[in-house]
Amino acid sequence: MSKVAIITDTNSGIMPEVGEKLGIIVIPTPFMIDGVEYLEGINLSQEDFFKKLAEGADVSTSQPSPGSTLELWDRVLEEYDELVYIPLSSGLSSSCQTATMLAADDYEGKVFVVNNQRISVTMRQSVLDAVEMRDKGLTAKEIKEQLEAVKFESSIYIMLDTLYYLKKGGRITPAAAALGTLLKLKPVLQIQGEKLDAFAKARTANQGKNIMINAMMNDIENRFGGFDARDVHLSGSYSYDLDKALEFKKEVEEAFPGYDMHMDPLSLVVSCHIGPGALAIACSRKIHL
Amino acid sequence: MSNTINAAMVRKMFLAGASNLNAKKEWINELNVFPVPDGDTGTNMTMTIMSAAKDVQALSEDVDMATLSKNIYSGAMRGARGNSGVILSQLLRGFTKGIRDYEELDAAIIADAFEKAVETAYKAVMKPKEGTILTVAKGASERATELSKEGADDLGVFFEEVVKYADEVLAKTPDMLPVLKQAGVVDSGGQGLVQVLKGALDIYQGKEIDYTVDAAAATPVAKKSVELSEEDIKFGYCTEFIVLLTKPLNVKQEMDFKAFLESIGDSIVMVADDEICKVHVHSNDPGLAIQRALMYGQLSNMKIDNMRMEHREKLFHELESGSYAEIDTEINGAAESTPTYNPGDDIPLKAGATAKAANEPEVPVEHKDMGFVAVCAGSGLADIFRGLGVDYVIEGGQTMNPSTEDILDAVAKVNADTVFVLPNNKNIILAANQAQIMLEDNNDPKKIVVIPTKTIPQGITAAINFIPDMSASDNEETMKEAIGTVKTGEVTYAVRDTMIDDVTIKQGDYMGIGDSGILGVGNDIDDVAVMMFDKIADSSTELISLYYGSDIKEEEAAALGKRIEEKFPKCDVEVQYGGQPIYYYIVSAE
Repeated sequence: MSKVAIITDTNSGIMPEVGEKLGIIVIPTPFMIDGVEYLEGINLSQEDFFKKLAEGADVSTSQPSPGSTLELWDRVLEEYDELVYIPLSSGLSSSCQTATMLAADDYEGKVFVVNNQRISVTMRQSVLDAVEMRDKGLTAKEIKEQLEAVKFESSIYIMLDTLYYLKKGGRITPAAAALGTLLKLKPVLQIQGEKLDAFAKARTANQGKNIMINAMMNDIENRFGGFDARDVHLSGSYSYDLDKALEFKKEVEEAFPGYDMHMDPLSLVVSCHIGPGALAIACSRKIHL
Repeated sequence: MSNTINAAMVRKMFLAGASNLNAKKEWINELNVFPVPDGDTGTNMTMTIMSAAKDVQALSEDVDMATLSKNIYSGAMRGARGNSGVILSQLLRGFTKGIRDYEELDAAIIADAFEKAVETAYKAVMKPKEGTILTVAKGASERATELSKEGADDLGVFFEEVVKYADEVLAKTPDMLPVLKQAGVVDSGGQGLVQVLKGALDIYQGKEIDYTVDAAAATPVAKKSVELSEEDIKFGYCTEFIVLLTKPLNVKQEMDFKAFLESIGDSIVMVADDEICKVHVHSNDPGLAIQRALMYGQLSNMKIDNMRMEHREKLFHELESGSYAEIDTEINGAAESTPTYNPGDDIPLKAGATAKAANEPEVPVEHKDMGFVAVCAGSGLADIFRGLGVDYVIEGGQTMNPSTEDILDAVAKVNADTVFVLPNNKNIILAANQAQIMLEDNNDPKKIVVIPTKTIPQGITAAINFIPDMSASDNEETMKEAIGTVKTGEVTYAVRDTMIDDVTIKQGDYMGIGDSGILGVGNDIDDVAVMMFDKIADSSTELISLYYGSDIKEEEAAALGKRIEEKFPKCDVEVQYGGQPIYYYIVSAE
């Protein structure tokens, strides 16, 4: 049996030290804050990040450098026969594209880059699924194929507390930009595979939470074929405000009896575009082997 | 004594009824239960019936019953505005259904037409309420049937008895609706109907009354009947002709043709039956009207007068003492200040290509699945609705209810398969529903969905809850559900002394009116606003919005916002400029 390594990045919400316990390797996402480079989960905590964001610091993200990625692969392949790399959704970053290109050159049959359009809690779930498949003895190629087979079967809704960061940043579609109106609104965005896009608007947080819960129910019922908790992972995410998140978790679990919602802080790469105080709900199809 | 009436008499009686209603409209306006400054039942009913009367007036006296019937009901349906206006248009629709197949009407036919009228009108109202225009109509109908069964053949007696009984029922409306009793008024819509019937009766009895209708009453801006001066002549050629239709115009063609005429002039009268279409328009380029009309058939009875020249001649006659120079200065001065339209520039053969372009989208907008039309008064509110993605805003809402035709026109300007209409006023919902039905009856591929928003905040909530990714029917459901979550209040002033919900109100008092009654009365605007919040906000309220009207200064609104914030520290308070007339504040809690 070949020895398979699993690599992901911190956009999955899995920090390097947690990754070690899962038997995977996690690449920290680099951030440039006021000209200084930080690595998520290494020398940049959630706390520091939001503090700097609130101070109006100039925050930008970048993908791990190709050099460091290759170096990592080489090092890992000394110990393993093949590796599965699960980067951030190709719709939100070019890491996936770069990695696919790098893998095609010299790593054919050894490095399998998964392009399954995930981010944050849904990406985390993919990583966990990959670990399970590895433990069951699947090859890297099989793991990639399984993950990509369900690539469109995930859905995320995010309610923003403010439009400020969305307007400030650049990574929004015109539809989302059009949400800026005279009224103070709490936009609800969606990530269906590729992009962060506008979904709906609400005037109050309660309205927004209801919109997300209803949209998720609709997705699970109509896109994922029913409410059986054995078929669907339900998870939640938040930026910075844990109390609000725990209250939301309770509300979601009431609306979805039988589900246990995993809650993670939203990856910083998303947070830097939407700011603090956001809440998200996500689901993805469970992989049955 | 006679026992039948013909179309010529029905025409005369209808016009006399319309004319009598017009004469009494101010008085009827004052009968509104809520002593609000925009009580307008009389105006709404008058504008509805005048829209039909204008068409009917243009018909010749020897018109047949079918053509007369069609013009009465189609004019009323298009012009319908306000709830009583819509009900009146439905009464006329039902009534004309009952008479259109006969050239001579006797008591039995008329009684049957009354029954059809009542039946049609009751169907148009979702929850018919007694003590209203419906009850008065029903009373008249019941009496007519009774008399007809008794073998009434003298129509003079028959009409008199019916009108007398309608009046009696009207007098009883306060006993049926407690709000009327407390306010000490009879139902205003019912009174309007009685006035129509009385006008018709008078002319039948041979009373000397002027039943020519004032066309201006049918147009939203009541024109003052001042002496025409040349400056007022914006469009110089009075143009009239008849189109001998190659085939009957459908509703869309009719509306397009009318819109075209509106784009090249004013004072438009256009009446069509299946064979002919009579056109009257004042325009600076009559050729355009003629050219366009040729698309529909041959023309006859053409007549074009230069009104500026006529006016000049009239001045010569009238001002015999004045010098020619004076008169010429007057004319030339006026002529210079009148922007003349040069027909050579470009010939718009499509409706809306000229004059009114300012209010219309400049570029043809992309076709969408779903679009929005919202009704509101006030530039701030209009901006808010546009900002929320509403495609077309009908400005008018509170003080001037748009007609069914206004709504159809607005919907026609939205390039979408489904157009959601937000009436934002409980008195506009019926007219919007009627627009929806008219489009449906016409097999128009476009669909109107009325979201029954009764207030501006409900409309805003509906627009916010729209989700472009969802189907039209899911959106309809979501929006209808969402509008129930917002509570509204409005602050205005009382125009007379009255009593509502056991609250005594004095003329000039400020009143806070909520979704289901009076929330506060006082002599300080801010105090009344705060009283309203005490009733509409509770521990679950997250957001309070204040939309301030055109009579409120920004600082005043900000100060009130601050006061509310202190009172409800857990809520977000948002103050926005609404710019609406009459209502100092429109507020909401959600």
